[in-house]
Order: sequence, then C-alpha cells, then structure tokens
Amino acid sequence: MTTEATAEATTEAPAAPREYSWRMPANWWTRNRHYFLYTVREFTALPLALWLLWLLVEIRRAGDGPARYAPHSSTAFVVFSVVVLAFALYHSYTFLTLAGTILHFKVLDRPVPARLIVLSQFAAWAAASVVVAFVLIWFAHE
Amino acid sequence: MDFESYDVLVVGGGLAGIRAAIAAVEANPRVRVGMVSKVYPMRSHTVSAEGGAAAALGPGDSFETHAFDTIKGSDYLADQEVVEAFVREAPVEIIQMEHWGCPWSRNPDGTIAVRPFGGMTTWRTCFAADKTGFHMLHAVFQTSLKYPQITRHDEAFVTKLLVEDSRCVGVVALDIRSGRFDAITAKSVILATGGLGRVYAFTTNGNICTGDGMALAYRAGAGLKDMEMVQFHPTGLPFTGILITEAVRGEGGYLLNKDGERFLKRYVPNKMELGPRDIISRAMTTEFEEGRGFEGPHGKYMHLDVRHLGEKVIDRKLPFMRELGREFLGIDIVTDPIPVRPVQHYMMGGVDANISGETPILGLYAAGECANVGLNGGNRLGSNSLPECLVFGAAAGRAAAHYASSARPVTANPVDAMLWDEARRVEAEYLEKKGGDERIGPIREEMQREMDAGAGVFRTKEGLSRLVRNLGGLRERFEKVRIDDSSRTFNTEIIAALELDFMLEVASVIAFTALAREESRGAHARRDFPERDDEHFLKHTLAFHTNTLAPRLEYSDVHITTFKPQARSY
Amino acid sequence: MPDKTITVRATRFDPERDREPRMQSYEVPFTDESMVVLDALNHVKSHIDGSLSYRWSCRMGICGSCGMMVNGTPKLTCNAFLRDYWPRPVVVQPLNNFPIIRDLVIDMDDFMHKLKSIKPWIIRKQELPLGAGEHRQSNEQIDDFRQFSECINCMLCYAACPVYGLNNEFLGPAATALARRYNLDSRDQGLKERLPVLGEAEGIWECSFVGECSVVCPKGVDPAKAIQQTKLDTTMRFVLPYGNRE
Repeated sequence: MTTEATAEATTEAPAAPREYSWRMPANWWTRNRHYFLYTVREFTALPLALWLLWLLVEIRRAGDGPARYAPHSSTAFVVFSVVVLAFALYHSYTFLTLAGTILHFKVLDRPVPARLIVLSQFAAWAAASVVVAFVLIWFAHE
Repeated sequence: MDFESYDVLVVGGGLAGIRAAIAAVEANPRVRVGMVSKVYPMRSHTVSAEGGAAAALGPGDSFETHAFDTIKGSDYLADQEVVEAFVREAPVEIIQMEHWGCPWSRNPDGTIAVRPFGGMTTWRTCFAADKTGFHMLHAVFQTSLKYPQITRHDEAFVTKLLVEDSRCVGVVALDIRSGRFDAITAKSVILATGGLGRVYAFTTNGNICTGDGMALAYRAGAGLKDMEMVQFHPTGLPFTGILITEAVRGEGGYLLNKDGERFLKRYVPNKMELGPRDIISRAMTTEFEEGRGFEGPHGKYMHLDVRHLGEKVIDRKLPFMRELGREFLGIDIVTDPIPVRPVQHYMMGGVDANISGETPILGLYAAGECANVGLNGGNRLGSNSLPECLVFGAAAGRAAAHYASSARPVTANPVDAMLWDEARRVEAEYLEKKGGDERIGPIREEMQREMDAGAGVFRTKEGLSRLVRNLGGLRERFEKVRIDDSSRTFNTEIIAALELDFMLEVASVIAFTALAREESRGAHARRDFPERDDEHFLKHTLAFHTNTLAPRLEYSDVHITTFKPQARSY
Repeated sequence: MPDKTITVRATRFDPERDREPRMQSYEVPFTDESMVVLDALNHVKSHIDGSLSYRWSCRMGICGSCGMMVNGTPKLTCNAFLRDYWPRPVVVQPLNNFPIIRDLVIDMDDFMHKLKSIKPWIIRKQELPLGAGEHRQSNEQIDDFRQFSECINCMLCYAACPVYGLNNEFLGPAATALARRYNLDSRDQGLKERLPVLGEAEGIWECSFVGECSVVCPKGVDPAKAIQQTKLDTTMRFVLPYGNRE
C-alpha cells in the first residue's frame, strides 16, 4: 500500500485505479425475452413507415387524376399490407396499454384505477374506428 | 505535504452522523464539514430501523411521562437530566425531519400519527409505515446533498484516531477503492459509527455493525460506558435474524407459545405484548427452557400472530413485515403466524459522552448508538434510538462546530508522522505478514458463537469467565491471521480483518464489564445475582484500555434528579 | 448426509493483475433450504477464498448494497434463494452497465452525481419555521408519491436498462423516480427547478420504454411509470401555458 495525503477537497472519493469499463455486447437484445420483445416492437415501426410512405406516393399520384391512380394489387403487397396491419394493431395495443401507466388523475379525490383508464382508451379507439369506417363507407356510397 | 483538513469531521454516515453534519453547518455556515463512511451513507444501518421514533408530540402526552417511561425502562441507570433534555428536543427533531421530507404516516387531520410501543405508557411513536429508519435515513441523506459545505468520503475506513497532546485532530482512513491511506484532519471529530451487533452470531445488525467507533475511541483513551448492557429484541426471524418490528405488537399482535397461550401474562401482566424488550426476551427464553417453545430446524421459537388484525391494517401499517414474510419465509402474515425468537439488536453502552456529545478527549465527540450519553441506561425503550440519533447527533454537531470556531489549526508535522506509522502498522500486521495460518472467517464465527453462549440474554459467572478466556485465545489466534488478498483495490478482506480486530476489542469489554456487574439490571441478567443491587451497582461502568485484554474498570454515579429508583414491574 | 453442494461461478477482476474479468468456480455446501446467494458468497469468503470482493450489509433487502447479476438477471443476492438454482450452478456477476472496480464491485459514482443533480430534497419558496409544526399532509397525499419513495438505490434498474447500457449520460430510472417522488410531494414546490434536468436531451427523453427497470425493481417502485408520467407532465407544461401545478 502506498501512503499519500489527499490534496484538495472533492465531493467524491479520490481517483481510483483502472476500472474495467462496461461494453454493451452487440447481441444484447437477444439475452432477455423482454429485450427481444422490445426490439421487435421498435423494429415493427420500420415496415409501418415504409407502407405509409407508399400510401403517400399513391395519394400524390391520385391527385394527378384517376388515370394515374393504380394501386398495387399483387398478392405480395396484400400480404405485406396484412402484416403491416398486424404491426399497427400491436403498436396501438402497446401504446394504449401504456396509458394506464402514464395517466393518473383523481375523481372525487380517489385515483382512477389503471384498468379503467386502459379500458376507456380501448373504448375510445373502437369508437374512433367506427366513426372513421362510417365516414369512409358514406363517402364510397356518394 | 498537504492533507484534507476540515473544521468538523464526522465518522459515520447514518442518521446521527448526517444529522450532526447538517447541524454543524446550520450552526455556522462557514464551517467546513467532512464525512467519512465505510459505506455509501444510504447503506448505513439506520436503514433497517422499522417501528418508529418516539416524541411527546400530541396533546395527550407529556415530557414527564416520556421521561419517566424512559428512566423506568432503563432500570434507573439513565442519567435523568439527559433524559429530560432528550424528551424536550425529540418533538422538535421529528418536526425537522418532517420539513426535510420524511413521509411520516398521518392522522386524518394531516398531523403526524403515533402508534403504541413497548414500555411507553401512551401512544407516542411516530412512524413511516414500518420502514421508519429507511425513510428517515434517505430523507436526511438526500437533504444533506444540498449543503455545499459537506464533503463526503464514501467507502473509506477509519483505522485510527489522530490524537496529539490529548486532543483529537483527525483520523487515518483507508480509502477502500484505491487502498491508499489518508490523513483527514479536523479541529473536531464526531464519532457516529453505530453499533456492534456483529460480535454476536444471531443479530439483527447488518454486516457493517462492528463497533468501529467504540474501539477507536477506546484505543485513543476514552472510556466505554455500560458495555455490559446489550439489548436482545424479542422478535427476530430464526436463521436470518431479520428484525420483526415491535410495531407488530404495538398494532395488536400476540406472542404465543406452543400451547397457543399468551404467556406474557405470567411476566408482564399489565403490559402484555407491550412490555419492555429486556423482560420479554427473558420471558421467551424462560418459556423455551421450560419446554413451551416450538421446535424448528433453526432452534426454538414462538409465534407472533397478527392474523386477527386483518389484511387492511397489515397493508397500511405493516406492509414491510408482509413483504419480509413473503420474501424470506414464504409465508403470508395475513394468514400465517410469524416464527420469532430473541435476537441481539442494540448496544446501550458506548463511548462515554456528555449531553453535548463531548468525550473526555478534547475535540472528540460521539453520538448515536456508538455513544453512551446516559439516555438508555440498562435497557433502551423501542423507538427511542431514532430520536436519540437526531437529538444527540444535532447536539454533537453544534458543539463540535462551536469548538472548531475557536480551536487552533491542526499542525502538519506530527500528523504526517502519525499517518506513516499507522500505514506501516496495517501493512506489517496484515499485508506483509509471512507465515500466518489462521483465517478471519473461522475466528469471527467462533467469537460470535462464544458471545451468543456467554453474553446472551442470561449470564453467569462461569459462562462469562469462560468467554473471557476464550476471547483471549481468539485474540492469540488473530495475531497469526493470514490474508489471502494482496490487492490494493477494494480489498474487503483487509477491512474484515480490521473490523475483527475492533470486534475482539469491544467483545472483551462486554465480557469483562458483564462479569464485574454482580447484579441484574435492565438487559444485564445474571443467573447468579438475580436481583437489582442499588446499593453497590446504581453506577455506570467505565472501561479503559490497557495493554492487556482486560480493561481497567471505574464506576461513576448515575445522575438522579426527579425519579427515585423503585421496583420495576409492568 | 450434508454433502449437498452447489457450484458458484463468480466474476473475478483485479485491475492490478487482470486485463479483463474472468470466472472462478467454487463448491459451496448447500446445508439449508433458506440459504441465499449472498450466504454462498460469504461461505466462499470465510472458508475458501478470502480475496473475493463484493458489497453487502443488511441482508434483509433494504440497504441496497448486494445487487449483482445472478444467472444473468439483476438481483439482490440476499433475496435470491439457492434452492431456485440448484442443482445447476449459480453464476454471479457484477451488475451490468457499470464499470467494474473489482470482482463483483461496481462503480456507482455516476448515480451519486445524478441523484444530486435532480435536487432530491424538499424545495420551498418559503420555509415553514420549525415552531409552526408540521406541514399538514393526508395519507392519500402520501400515497401519491409513496411508491417512488421506496427506492433503495440498489442499481438493479440501471443494470436492467439497455438505454443506460448504451448511453450512460441517460439520467436513468432510479434518479427519475426520486425526482418524481419530490415533484409529487404536496410539501414540495421545486418542480420548476427539477424540470430542466429531467427535460434535457439525456434526461427522460432517452427512455424508449423497455420497461425492464420496473420488472427487476425489488421494491415495486416502477421507475418506468415515473419516467413516462414525467414525459407527459413536461409535455403538458409545454403545451398548456397554465398546465400543471407549481
């Protein structure tokens, strides 16, 4: 051991000898089920974004007149769309479930239970979907 | 050579130490305070306190009854003017903790709630559910972060007090992470290092409770007062020694023997489960000896039953107990009784200090469990120790800051030499020693077994004499100890060796002082002297370090002001 | 009869000798069903190899010292029972995402700085004098922040957080939970002083809600909830000029 007196005031312990720094392993997301599901959740945003980009292109083309509007109808694209729909539903589900964690308010001085909040979110989602579907169908009939 | 120098240096980062540091700064904002702790402060053992903190807050309470309960609980070995000052300060400190964010449980009107506790005649124990110590420690530690005058030295182990011309001028500390010895000097030093429960095998105390401050002061020449007074808490979990709070009984829990009988009716008929800890621990031990305890894989035990309280009360008032039962025993205390038996819990004895925390060594102060200011006498009442840390921590902090403002600065030369000597001593005794063949672990375990056997709930001359002899043998073995770890970096084995050195020292003091007190008073129960003997032993024991294991013993008078000693029955 | 043993594989790293951590195996007698991983480490240190270094104290799950990776999961070793691993070996490593000082000891100074940065103390515009007694506070008001006040600073949440593992500038779970603890305390008026630290780029916004911090928390603190709630609060304050309380 060496003997040495501290030279100056510091609010923390004196400098220590070499430490072994943490290095995140590249495969960290495979090491735990939750990490994996989390990574999948984040990854699903990518195809979703691609699909939406495609939709934007379609809309733009539709703006040039009905003749230019030629939606993709290959089997591959339908399959892709269905998969993306599943991803979108999964995202909506995780997002809405989160509301139970995030939102906290009181009615008559009693905290509203998280389950009720989540339930109301899903109800609002369902209601919104019905309204959108109704509007679309109504437009289609015009 | 430069070295760290403060006005006030606090050794220990628990409730008493942090309270002292803040008090010093608030007494004089120009004071520079250092705080050395062998663990990060929030790891300190205050964190394990559960039940609560007593203070005569409410309109139905009075200073007089709190003082009387404390003095009667102490079996009249408390210094009464200290108790009287304590009960007046305790409510102020509880309010101060409230202002610092402690989440005290509340009455419906928003004021601080109180609960009943053992040996207290009225409800006066403030609580934060059943994690009172945890919440107090974190609140006071987090509050301490706002004072730039306080500089922490976390994970540094003090090996020696620097004493120059019979004045304490700092410490030598081993920085655990780097293995470097530092002299940390100060105009005044406050010891707040906590208890010594780890000298026993079966204890509620954490691994860090090794009597460091007591041993440091003892070796520096201060007296240790009433070290024979060791508290055994009635309700520890078998095997682990995890504390089941007295609040369980305060909230209405029953202690039952194997016949399902509330046996305390034979011992403390008027108080039952709310009797003081010393008497209930003796009652349980007696029941065990007479064959009325349960037999389990980890020895005899009793049942602590809260099933009749109902889930709602348990979850509101005792949630941590439910958690401990579930996590460590696999039982639900809502539906199952808790197995418990007496367990070492607290040290009434400690560094001889007065009401301001001053020790006989100039510039050296002590507070909290490591000190004996004369508050607890022969037996501490449950929930008096947390306010003790606050009241006497603050008192020591103020006194130390005051003394520092007029004390002359510390001079470098002798400190330098003392630092080198101490560093050389530790290196020679542990790191560079050749040929030792003893390990730390087995010596420590044997010491703990010997202390359980010889200095437990009941003591005898034979048992204590054997303990004294065996501790002598262990000290000889310790001289031949071998260290596996030669690294300087975070060498926890050398810390364990230094702690064992301290523990053997204080364990011997317990054994010798217990042997010398030939009466039964408070927690000190002698089978061969079952009566209290006010004529010969209404006195404090003072133990001083000598060149042998045996301390030099002196006795000093107990300060009695208002309450004349009378028979102690509940 | 008492021949039942369990293999403990522990990380060893001494910066004075080792370039990088290595694993060492010990055979430990498994004599009691109540034994925890920490008991096994203590047996190693007392009877087999005194040089094994780790932190511990209370062994009742409240001091927060003994957090380590046990078979890959952050745990308090005082509360990880050997019976749940036997007869397979139990692998004990220092907490992920932190620098290793020695063996099973991590460097947590980073957290100590972060803790201080969120000002974890009651901030008042005007201090109540001691003579005025306590602030009135109902048990329901305590319930608002109780969960977040239960944090024992054990660092398991940081070890579980891949965001912190990738970027240790991130304020992280426990520090945010403690900031929220004070922000929700009816006695506190320091929200405005804490928001800048929480709201900055490396504050709460790094969190992408993995949620693992709340899974491993031994005290049910749910730091993930604290972070998401803080995100909403910060946003609302931005969106609504008079949103939220002081």
